[in-house]
Amino acid sequence: MRRSRIPFLTTLVVLAFFYLPILILAVQSFNHAKFGGRWRGFSLRWYEELMRREDIHRAAWNTLLVATSSTLVSMLLGTLAAWVIYRHARTRLQRFHFGLVYAPLVVPDILMGMSLLLFFVNLTVPLSIVTIIIAHTTFCISYVAFVVLGRLQDFDEALIDAAQDLGAGWGSIVWRILLPLLGPGMLAGGLLAFTLSIDDFVITFLVSGPGDTTLPLKIYGMMRRSSPTVINALSVIMMTVTFTIVLISQRIMLKKQ
Amino acid sequence: MVRRWHEWLLTLPSLTWLVVFFLIPSLLVFAISFRPAGPYGGIGEGWTLETWQGLANPNYPEIVWRTVWLSVLTTVLCIAFGLPVAYALARMEGPWRNRLLLLIILPFWTNFLIRIFAWRTLLHPEGLVKDVLLLFRLASPETQLLYNSWAILLVLVYSFLPFSILPLYAAAEKFDFSLLDAARDLGASRWRAFVSVFIPGVSAGLLTAFLIVFIPVLGSYAIPDIVGGPTSEMIGNKIAQRVFNDRNLPHASALSSILALIVILPMLAVLVRRRRRGDGAAGGRAA
Amino acid sequence: MNKKLLLILVLPLAALAALFTSACRWQSRPALYVYNWDAYMAPEAVKLFEKRFGCRVVLDTFDSNEAMYAKVKAGAGGYDVIFPSSYQAYIMHEEGMLLELDHALLPNLASVDREYLHRFGIDKGMAYSVPYMTGSTGIGYRESAVEGFEPSWTVFDRADLRGRMTLLNDMRETLGAALKLLGHSLNTRDEAQINAAADVVIRWKANIAKFENEGYKQGIASREFHVVHGYSGDILQVIEENDDPDIVYALPVEGFSIWEDGMVIPVDASNAGLAHAFINFMHDPEVAVMNMEYNYYMCPNTAAYALVDPELKEDPNVFIPEALRAKAEMIEPLGEDLQKYIRAWDRAKAER
Repeated sequence: MRRSRIPFLTTLVVLAFFYLPILILAVQSFNHAKFGGRWRGFSLRWYEELMRREDIHRAAWNTLLVATSSTLVSMLLGTLAAWVIYRHARTRLQRFHFGLVYAPLVVPDILMGMSLLLFFVNLTVPLSIVTIIIAHTTFCISYVAFVVLGRLQDFDEALIDAAQDLGAGWGSIVWRILLPLLGPGMLAGGLLAFTLSIDDFVITFLVSGPGDTTLPLKIYGMMRRSSPTVINALSVIMMTVTFTIVLISQRIMLKKQ
Repeated sequence: MVRRWHEWLLTLPSLTWLVVFFLIPSLLVFAISFRPAGPYGGIGEGWTLETWQGLANPNYPEIVWRTVWLSVLTTVLCIAFGLPVAYALARMEGPWRNRLLLLIILPFWTNFLIRIFAWRTLLHPEGLVKDVLLLFRLASPETQLLYNSWAILLVLVYSFLPFSILPLYAAAEKFDFSLLDAARDLGASRWRAFVSVFIPGVSAGLLTAFLIVFIPVLGSYAIPDIVGGPTSEMIGNKIAQRVFNDRNLPHASALSSILALIVILPMLAVLVRRRRRGDGAAGGRAA
Repeated sequence: MNKKLLLILVLPLAALAALFTSACRWQSRPALYVYNWDAYMAPEAVKLFEKRFGCRVVLDTFDSNEAMYAKVKAGAGGYDVIFPSSYQAYIMHEEGMLLELDHALLPNLASVDREYLHRFGIDKGMAYSVPYMTGSTGIGYRESAVEGFEPSWTVFDRADLRGRMTLLNDMRETLGAALKLLGHSLNTRDEAQINAAADVVIRWKANIAKFENEGYKQGIASREFHVVHGYSGDILQVIEENDDPDIVYALPVEGFSIWEDGMVIPVDASNAGLAHAFINFMHDPEVAVMNMEYNYYMCPNTAAYALVDPELKEDPNVFIPEALRAKAEMIEPLGEDLQKYIRAWDRAKAER
């Protein structure tokens, strides 16, 4: 039976679509011009400027820190939430729980940011990287939970029953059955959370303390008075580095097997 | 008895977190919509229904309509393209599957603003896309590709497609593809098998994809602000304007509550569906 | 298996990083937290301050007055010096958010341009704010693309430039431009005039590509737009950067707005003494010149005028000649009457 090639072709089209602006971005990172899209000659000035700008380094570091932390915590809490909602679906507690997990998706980020800011201020919690992480985790939990819930569809309960019959404790059930099965769902949810956190502007703007700039904050600021052209260079470097790291780590893991 | 205790224990972490950091602050915000606006953008004293009455603005219906149809169309397109990609990914073997997943998400780790400005360069009146269109006589020199609803649609789909691919992939990965072969054996065409077997098989992922695309798109303001024209405002723009420009927080809260209400409807639908599917859990075997 | 390994590796790294970042705050030099627009102060000037006063300046940037205000009003403190626009500073003062300035600590204020203060200033006595930079809002255009350009707001009525123009997405600026065209003050409280201005904007909407606050610089440089409504320094920067004599900045004859960004100290500043020193430093004539030559705006400091680069001094866009200045107005706070503008702006944005 011939498998349809449509899915594969669609994927290629989608990838091309995704990378079109990235290509422009990459080309522009070597463009001498500061404003405007016209090509004004090849130049490495943006890469040089990037090396110089410590403020951008700090912002990038903060962004990474916040994204990683909030992704990890939300992966944990989100998966837990999805599991419980799925497992004990009929109870009133879970219906409330479900509503609570659903709700952050619905609230616009401006309002979520303002409400968190007012909350922190009223409790005299000083704004810092920690408050940013808390804010990001809060909206990420919902995304992770929903993605994992999607994966729990048609989950074969019999596996758990069988394992319990064979005498396995919850510890090994979680480690050997649940985690591997939920793995791709957690990964997808985690990727989603990371992506959301990296780009968040409004909420971060409102709950960050002085000196705790993240990349989106910096870039929005650059839009107004100058031009964020130097960020093109940063994006190219970032993407190259990430892809290389993953390739290398995959090679290492493959070798181990 | 032990079961209930288990359930509470597992629920507690996310429940506590969300109640403390989400529910309470949100109730605060909802309450704000019932207060009058302060003279310089603060929140006044006392309670009033004025803000809600002020929502009867004759300009709003058009904005709401535009927001809704753009959001629906975006979601439909995202799912239409997301499904085949999720399918292809799930069927892939070996290290390339994760690499492809990474390749798909990587562009979205560059900054949002930068990507959108890259689109502005692409759709520039003297830019690449326009040149190609002119070549094939699909456009005239005056055609403006940017600053209208179609540009908004394009950039929205671009920005939210990965959000539909991820949950669909998560669900598809678990899908038993031999079911498709079985359907084919029984004489179904490839298309029929896809629609009647695959799609229901990932329905929970489909629901998630729908939710995490539709809802944020409904409230988006940055994209319509940057690539939209003067006549393509969405609700999100209005909320942002109220909060930042007019400094009218109560009005913004009221608008957001409306937005939330529009979206509560799918949630109710979900809850009803979960109820009907045989007591909640898929498979209905949870005790 | 391998994903778990990765997780286990990353967690302690993240914890270490968090510790490291917070530990960095314990540096020996005192810190001055400044909240400003991006690319507004000459980096050499800031470094000079750090050296002279043995401290470090931590700079955060905001992209709009309103966003900054919303955040600070809600209680997000920690800043020592903030650079709001003058009407925003007025509002912050009314709300009791600002410290009264101690002029004894600000000797350089003696050389602040008194004529400017008297004519345009909102805080004429510099009780709570000191002017940092002032500029104008006018029209930037491409000579080659616009035939027969006249320095007037009527350019936005030109159908031949349809789709290649932008207006600022700023209620006071754009309604202000329309008001000026109609011959009214841009601080008018007359609702009929304001509504007439809204009608003009609706008429203009048909010709513009969009309302734009930031992307117009990119737009005009890349030939996407031929006529943009923008701030003087921004457009001058584009001209300078792109080495493009084709782009010109013009001030409309009907009149235009002058704006000012000032320096204020919030009441909860942790380092008011150093904050005063910073403000004083910015009006050191040589420092003022450094900043002016960096951002192409004008610092109202008479001692600095004498020292500034003659090319800048002769630029009518930076040092506006009297004839044009007579028609200029500063955007002033309007209190309750702002609601009239908000309604008109809403209507202007929604109607066709």
